[in-house]
Amino acid sequence: MEIRLKHLTKIFPGNPKKNIPDTHAVEDLNLTIPDGKLYALLGPSGCGKSTTLNMIAGLSEPSSGEIWFGDEDVTDLSPEKRGIGLVFQNYALYPHMTVYKNVAFPLTNLRVEEEVKDASGNTVLDGEGKPLIKKRKLTKIEIDKLVRETAKIVQIEEYLWRKPNQLSGGQQQRVAIARALVKHPRVLLLDEPLSNLDARLRLQTREEIRRIQKSTGITTIFVTHDQEEAMSISDEIVVMKLGVEQQSGLPQEVYNEPANRFVANFLGTPPINFFHGEIKDNKIYVGDAMVKEIVDKKLPDQKVTVGIRPEGIVPNPKGVLPFHVDQIITQGRDILIQGDHPEETRPCKFVVDAFTDVKVGDIRCDVKPHKCFAFSLEGNEERIA
Amino acid sequence: MIKKNNWKGWLYLAPIIILMSVFTFYPLISTFLIAFMKNYDYQVQTSEGFTFDNFGIVLHIIPIVSGNAEPAWVTDVIEYAIPNTLIITFVTVPLSIIIALAIAVGLNSIPKFQKIFQTIFFIPYVTNSIAVGMVFAVLFDYKGIINFLIGDMGSPWIDQGAPRWKAMIALCIYIIWSSLPFKILIFLSGLAGIDKQYYDAAKIDAAGRFKTLMHVTVPLLSPQILYVMITSFIGAFKEYDSVVGLIGKPGTDAGTNMYTVVYYIYDSIGRNQVDYASAAAVLLFIVILAFTGIQFWVSKKRVHY
Repeated sequence: MEIRLKHLTKIFPGNPKKNIPDTHAVEDLNLTIPDGKLYALLGPSGCGKSTTLNMIAGLSEPSSGEIWFGDEDVTDLSPEKRGIGLVFQNYALYPHMTVYKNVAFPLTNLRVEEEVKDASGNTVLDGEGKPLIKKRKLTKIEIDKLVRETAKIVQIEEYLWRKPNQLSGGQQQRVAIARALVKHPRVLLLDEPLSNLDARLRLQTREEIRRIQKSTGITTIFVTHDQEEAMSISDEIVVMKLGVEQQSGLPQEVYNEPANRFVANFLGTPPINFFHGEIKDNKIYVGDAMVKEIVDKKLPDQKVTVGIRPEGIVPNPKGVLPFHVDQIITQGRDILIQGDHPEETRPCKFVVDAFTDVKVGDIRCDVKPHKCFAFSLEGNEERIA
Repeated sequence: MIKKNNWKGWLYLAPIIILMSVFTFYPLISTFLIAFMKNYDYQVQTSEGFTFDNFGIVLHIIPIVSGNAEPAWVTDVIEYAIPNTLIITFVTVPLSIIIALAIAVGLNSIPKFQKIFQTIFFIPYVTNSIAVGMVFAVLFDYKGIINFLIGDMGSPWIDQGAPRWKAMIALCIYIIWSSLPFKILIFLSGLAGIDKQYYDAAKIDAAGRFKTLMHVTVPLLSPQILYVMITSFIGAFKEYDSVVGLIGKPGTDAGTNMYTVVYYIYDSIGRNQVDYASAAAVLLFIVILAFTGIQFWVSKKRVHY
């Protein structure tokens, strides 16, 4: 099910009497979430990603704009009619029900439409000659079958008779996903699904979510503030800031070609390094060092912010960029170097191979041109090169 | 260190220990002892030895040995006090809990005027029960507004000559009304503690309002419901002041047809029958204890902390 958000806006009214301005949680958001993909809404807290998710779920009403599921406008549809499964940040499993009952609960409310058959098995027709459709509840056997099927997908079969408080965080998480999946929703929504898990479990669970999404093929939207999480499992991501979309696309593309300084800063650990720099004669300079030549277009001379990814700085005695190394942090696979440069905006960090010979003190480095960006100082600090 | 300062601890506890000893523990033990004393005289504090007869006499199993015709009070417990107390308990407690729950859930879903209504519903709690009883007595007067509304002027509810069942209806309405505020307060505080996400989850799971109430709200509120249930059952078993407040005397006829167990206990003391009063009190204690025990046992499966 392809989901389209058209000019979606959510304004939480303030109080003019007390001088509290309106909060624009989401502003004019236009997104197309492709069918059957895992899509991540990414941004720091307060960027409107959870509000967007709640609007897609129907728990929150948009101030303006439309939400389309395929060819159906669901903007004014109540949540239960949208056919969505939602996994809450703290799971919201009913504490008094066993895992089985939690998963079965959505099914007990479900009504299936069925053609009415007469005693000999023929379809009964209504007044207009169409087959008579009647709604009915699911039987206990049907519910049991669905619950067990779903339990198998998320691997919680052993815990079906436990209460949620007898489960670990990861297990509760899977129960919550099972409860969302059991009614075969058109869309699966996950609100910060991994934030309550410890680091190890987070890695494991995100693979799990990926696996479940792939095996069910269900269009999934998940909200996260963790860029690593978003990049590692999503098919596509959108980065948001203060309710406004900054950039969307394939994770690697967004990382390689950030649209502006915010996106460049938000994606990547350790974060990108920023320097005060300038463009002169179509070349990017940090201080006196020329770090990149712009080949594909002609840009006027100007002051810019230069961003260099941590993996884009390579120690080389004949390199262009001088650094003073403060600290060398061994990480096993590679080394994290923390250093200073006169034009930096904050202490620089760069990652080099574990066998690189570096010592605390002054060094020189080369810059990989494709890891180096120039951002305008004006407006939204767009990337210009 | 701990041993050295021990007397200080006892000193801090002394006021409450002394007060409880004099006014709670001593009377409690005395009651149990007196319940088993034969012909106890509380003025001179003498008795003629231990016996189980007091219980028999209270329950009208053993005839009282006084030679002449039996006095009227011997059948009071079996005929009036026990049935009335049971009716009051099993009518008012479930009804008031259901009504209080409905009001609390209702109040909780209209956040706009919640505070105002909360105050209105809490007023009966701070009002003197005798005063409330007098108001209800006026309402249920044979020339009162209730009779005016149902078009039955002149037939008594609680006045002299009223049938027992009519007086009981009036009494139960009065008890339910005056017991609501405390329950509503407890339920409201319980509802405030339920995470709103459960309701969002129920909404997405397409659970209707009633189903959400029965499958989400009530189970999550079960600790509060248990607390209210146990305290109100105990309170209802001890009902007395409501009869005094509403009717002002033990019956709507010349006798005692509106007796409750506690009313009987008070009147027994007045008749200088402290031994029978004690026996009745011990019986009441056993019933309340057993009943509370059953509630705890049943609740083990049904209450979710």
